[in-house]
Amino acid sequence: MRYLLYRLRRLAIVLGVVTFITFLLVNVLPGDVAYEMAGMDSTEEEVQEIREELGLNRPVLIRYVEWVGGVFTGDWGTSYINKENVWDAVTDRFPVSFELMLLAQILALSMAIPAGMASAFRPNGRADRIIGALAFASVSMPSFMTAILLIFVFALGLGWLPATGYEPLSTGLWANLKPMILPALSLALVEWTILMRTLRVEMISVLQENYIALARAKGMSNLRILWVHALRPSSFSMITLLGLQVARLLGGTIIIEQIFGIPGIGRLLIHAVYTRDFIVIQGCVTFFALAFVTANFLVDVAYAWLDPRVRTGGSHG
Amino acid sequence: MHMGEIILDVRDQRTSFATARGMLAAVDGVSFTLQRGRTLGVVGESGSGKSVLSRSIMRLLPGNAVVPGGSRVILNGRDLTRLSEAELRRLRGPEMAIVFQDPMTSLNPVLSIGRQIMEVLMFHLGMKKRAARARAIELLTAVGLPQPDVRVDQYPHQLSGGMRQRVAIAIAIACEPDLLIADEPTTALDVTVQAEILDLLQRMVRERNMAMILITHDMGVVAGRCDDVAVMYAGRIVEQAPVRDLFRNTRMPYTAALLASIPKVTDPPHRKLDAIDGRPPDLINPPPGCPFAPRCKLADADCDQGKPMLEGPAGHLFACIRPLGQETAA
Repeated sequence: MRYLLYRLRRLAIVLGVVTFITFLLVNVLPGDVAYEMAGMDSTEEEVQEIREELGLNRPVLIRYVEWVGGVFTGDWGTSYINKENVWDAVTDRFPVSFELMLLAQILALSMAIPAGMASAFRPNGRADRIIGALAFASVSMPSFMTAILLIFVFALGLGWLPATGYEPLSTGLWANLKPMILPALSLALVEWTILMRTLRVEMISVLQENYIALARAKGMSNLRILWVHALRPSSFSMITLLGLQVARLLGGTIIIEQIFGIPGIGRLLIHAVYTRDFIVIQGCVTFFALAFVTANFLVDVAYAWLDPRVRTGGSHG
Repeated sequence: MHMGEIILDVRDQRTSFATARGMLAAVDGVSFTLQRGRTLGVVGESGSGKSVLSRSIMRLLPGNAVVPGGSRVILNGRDLTRLSEAELRRLRGPEMAIVFQDPMTSLNPVLSIGRQIMEVLMFHLGMKKRAARARAIELLTAVGLPQPDVRVDQYPHQLSGGMRQRVAIAIAIACEPDLLIADEPTTALDVTVQAEILDLLQRMVRERNMAMILITHDMGVVAGRCDDVAVMYAGRIVEQAPVRDLFRNTRMPYTAALLASIPKVTDPPHRKLDAIDGRPPDLINPPPGCPFAPRCKLADADCDQGKPMLEGPAGHLFACIRPLGQETAA
């Protein structure tokens, strides 16, 4: 219980800092939403009038406090550009981005775990060298390059998967997943390398442990030793990274959503940045921070599942 | 299943490791046989090759280990050196098992102790989960773990060192092996627990009519609990005899030095321990003669002329050309 309170307090601090800094940054950017609303040919007086109307000429701190107050009462504000309710806009699009990130992580893990094991089983063996080369090739390519390559091969060349588009889950699971595969793979092909190399290093040392020797002496097969005896004690760093990578993925999805025409939160955010629609930016960033902190909370929960010593140790603050 | 049946026959076992400096001969031509119901103590300093010997018997050697073609390990009439890895796996557990030195690190920290016992039963004996669990509780009871039905679901970190070693023994005897290797099973334990664990091992061997190899660096452990003793030095057996014989009629100067290095209750206080001077030889470039000669008080020029054979009358073997007790024996 104390632990939970501690986590919640941390969540509050992270959210406060992130949203405040974003608020400040949007403010120091040249140009503001008033220019956008007034249009290209407007005079300085007209722009000033709109600012007056929206209250944009008041101090930043006061406007931030007002925004925070609104968030607490459930009013996330409305877009200055298209008058859309920010809460609705964000919650409409966030699940799409969430699905993309989740799929990317699942794909990355399902590549990283078997490959990491195969590499760790005989370090510097043939499998290790081949996997290492592939991994570094794939991490060296930025995700948007990978995306273009994947579209070229699987959409334009082979025609197996669509190049763009999005189908809601209500149209069926496969219909929903099909256009998501290439975008998720573009993200995963960057992320898996780091996970795989981390697992490899930790597993190489776990495989030296006495309990692995005992498992061998018990007549267990190599496959069973890797999956049942070695994987869980080897995955702490990998799980930690999995949480931290959410931050990179949030950045990655913004580009990938553009390339594949996915109506996620990334596109909403980019549009809002272009038009200085700061109230929408605030909404998006709040969700990003929330997603990041939640992911890392789940990582902490995973530690307890991975290691019974964490579960019963109780030494955690 | 009668006494006297030969369980294990090791012939000229040699195990070397490829190192950066050259080949290191960790086990250098060891031969012995072991009968059902008997316990062989293997004694030696660290680095004498006793642990490598146990892993050589189990065929659990790391990738840089080299075993020449002439070495034979025959377990229940089957030559382990000719078996495939898959065939060996089927024997590890049902025919041979090992208890490691450090129970703090030899149990998997993320699996419940029940699971660690059950997987052996399920894999080797084809037991179903429920039956395996019941059997695991029986085994934990047999090794004297208190509250076995509660402990079965606990994890290693919830158990003391002595209790963990009991669990390790339960794992080892789960499939009723014919050969049990105990590799310094009490070295990492509190002195008060050591005797309990040794008693337990002895009882298991007697009840189940197994053969045991008890590896230790402690002459005191060997004294009351083994039938025969093999003293190892620099990868070779240098003296081997029934335990009583070895203590009463020590022939090899190295064995005598080992025995002398044990402090006695009757010693006056602050007496300097009789440690053996010098260090064990370099196993990459071993001396040409008796490996103990450089440290031996009785050695002369002849001792540097070739390695002495392990031989002797009436089951008391020693590898020494200037043995102790000449005058009484002659």
